[in-house]
Amino acid sequence: MFYREAGQFYTSYAKDQGIFQLRQDKYGLWGILFIAFIVVPVGLYLLVQGGLMAASTKDYLYNSIFLLLLVNSMAALGLNILTGYCGQISLGTAAFMGVGAFTAFKFSTGLNYRIQHEDDAGELVSQLVPLLPAIDNPILLVLIAGFVTAIVGVIFGLPSLRIKGFYLAVATLAAQFFLVWCFSRVEWLYDYVSSSTIQIPPLKLFGLVVTGSETVMRDGQAVTIYPAAETKYLICLSLVVFFAFIAKNMVRGRIGRAWMAIRDMDIAAQLIGIRPLATKLLAFAVSSFFCGMAGAMSLIFYLGALEGAEAFNINESFSVLFMVIIGGLGSITGSFLGAAFITLIPIFLVVSLPWLGGQFGIPVDAAVVEHFQFMIFGALIIIFLIMEPLGLARLWQIGKERLRQWPFPY
Amino acid sequence: MKHAERTFGDTLLKVDNITLRFGGVKAITDVSFEIREKQIFAIIGPNGAGKTSMLNVINGFYHPQEGTITYKGNPRHQMKPHEAAETGIARTFQNVALFRGMSTLDNVMTGRLLKMSGPSMRYYHNKLANMPVINYLTYPAMWFGDFLLDSLYWGPYQKEEVAHRKAAEEVIDFLEIQSIRRTPVGRLPYGLQKRVELGRALAMEPDLLLLDEPMAGMNLEEKEDMCRFVIDVNDEFGTTIALIEHDMGVVMDISDHVVVLNYGRKISEGTPAVVQADQDVIDAYLGVAHEEDLIET
Ligand SMILES: Nc1ncnc2c1ncn2[C@@H]1O[C@H](COP(=O)(O)OP(=O)(O)OP(=O)(O)O)[C@@H](O)[C@H]1O
Ligand SMILES: [Mg+2]
Repeated sequence: MFYREAGQFYTSYAKDQGIFQLRQDKYGLWGILFIAFIVVPVGLYLLVQGGLMAASTKDYLYNSIFLLLLVNSMAALGLNILTGYCGQISLGTAAFMGVGAFTAFKFSTGLNYRIQHEDDAGELVSQLVPLLPAIDNPILLVLIAGFVTAIVGVIFGLPSLRIKGFYLAVATLAAQFFLVWCFSRVEWLYDYVSSSTIQIPPLKLFGLVVTGSETVMRDGQAVTIYPAAETKYLICLSLVVFFAFIAKNMVRGRIGRAWMAIRDMDIAAQLIGIRPLATKLLAFAVSSFFCGMAGAMSLIFYLGALEGAEAFNINESFSVLFMVIIGGLGSITGSFLGAAFITLIPIFLVVSLPWLGGQFGIPVDAAVVEHFQFMIFGALIIIFLIMEPLGLARLWQIGKERLRQWPFPY
Repeated sequence: MKHAERTFGDTLLKVDNITLRFGGVKAITDVSFEIREKQIFAIIGPNGAGKTSMLNVINGFYHPQEGTITYKGNPRHQMKPHEAAETGIARTFQNVALFRGMSTLDNVMTGRLLKMSGPSMRYYHNKLANMPVINYLTYPAMWFGDFLLDSLYWGPYQKEEVAHRKAAEEVIDFLEIQSIRRTPVGRLPYGLQKRVELGRALAMEPDLLLLDEPMAGMNLEEKEDMCRFVIDVNDEFGTTIALIEHDMGVVMDISDHVVVLNYGRKISEGTPAVVQADQDVIDAYLGVAHEEDLIET
């Protein structure tokens, strides 16, 4: 009764082709956006002001949960375009995210390279010389990271013309290991520091500090300004929302149809005039663009500093793949559901398991929690692959169909 | 009988001495024929005669070792399937090859992909494509312009989408599949799937339509519908049709010209009446009739 399409008819094809078939879905989305953009920041702010929540709790929510969720959503969108829509399996997601992170780092420091020469005393002196002016706009950095990763993605997507399925997965796995090797071996990538960590320099957007800190003189006193968690959150949220909209447009238009045609029946797709290589490479490019942005966002907003080989290892690739499988292959909504699920479950377990153990007098340490997490994810992956390959998104759809019929199922 | 005084145009497709081998197996041996514009052309023959292989040669899937193909008056080089599609050849498959994850409407819309092109690409093809050097330099920019419009689903792209939706709806109306527009095709019964596949091919507005056993596995009513659609497509749009069919009644009824293959060779050719009376054809069919009966019942 609450969820009906009755009486909603479209009088033009343009309307019928809108993103949402039902008014309820549209209002639902506006509601979610309203909550994410307004209710969350304002509500948390008021809670802290009113003394109901510690400022550190608020920052924990933003920095450790919301930002991670947004980064993961972006990555899941990227992988879903490639795997869910175009049917090309990839295990190199984390490596592509890494390419994005390192690109953002290099451009934020002006693409430094090192020159070495001997000084008068005969000692070796090295000097970092920037090739370009350093870019300090985080959004610009994220976009550049996307473009560079898209190019890398196309290169690693080339084998997809010849190999499919399992073998392609192995080829992307090779990409994963090769790129991660680069992250800890190619000194130029991390500006030659011995620890091979990269750290994002101070960035600003519209005069707001986004990373690092800034010291300004106020009333004759030096004041240090730290970035507000809300600033990072809102920038990331805007990026994710905008690019989710772009992704949705692609998959509902001719580009998406070509991808899905290749996924469902590539022989028939060719006979319709679809060029298999170009179509697959476009999917690799767009997918890598998203993953690259996710990596750059992870470096700039979420972590600030990271070590490439550790932050973007194969586990991260698998975890994004799980998001896509559990959320729903070939569904934009599913990417978000999956990202939320995989991001929030561990946090939930970390909080709840020790508490639960405490109730029964069983000590639960971090290792136990981690093992529980593996077990739960493993079981869920198997359950979803067997019972509902279309994931949470499909369950949501089935739920809606039930609601539509309720209370008269026949 | 129905086509008593039909007239046809020029030769649309000419197949000359085609031989196709798979390793040691000769699937097609030295076959030649001509398909004329507006004709309904039938290829018949017992199982394994090389009929499907012939269609695969025509739309660029297989490359024959010998022989030439002349299409629309030009000798054709070895082409890829998507290039054949660009020259106006559409096709349905013996085993339905729909995009199972997509709805009927999306399947038909996918058939329009070649017709869809953004404003920048249209400009490119009208103005820039013929200029040397400039065509290479401007192509990426033009392509990217359309790509951006697509991803914003905005302005000219939306108009494009609506225009093609209209065309797709015409096909859907023509085939009377309005009620399954939004159904994922994987859930449709076999007969309807074949109809959707025909719809996808029709959406391409082809000059030459290849149908591989369009009525196989259908009940009588579905067969009659399908016959009607084939005849109507030919009548209303003037599309040249080459079809493979096992049901001799259907072939005799709707086709203008028949070629009979057996073991990869052409054994007879002519109007349905001529072919039907040909002793070689009768022998070929009698020779395998028993086997066929065994398999199908
Ligand atoms: N890709 C291939 N590789 C090897 N042999 C093939 C291939 N395609 C077809 N053949 C062989 O070519 C011969 C003709 O096959 P084809 O499918 O063209 O027959 P058909 O006339 O369509 O038969 P049917 O009525 O059963 O559909 C068969 O002997 C088949 O085994
Ligand atoms: Mg066949």
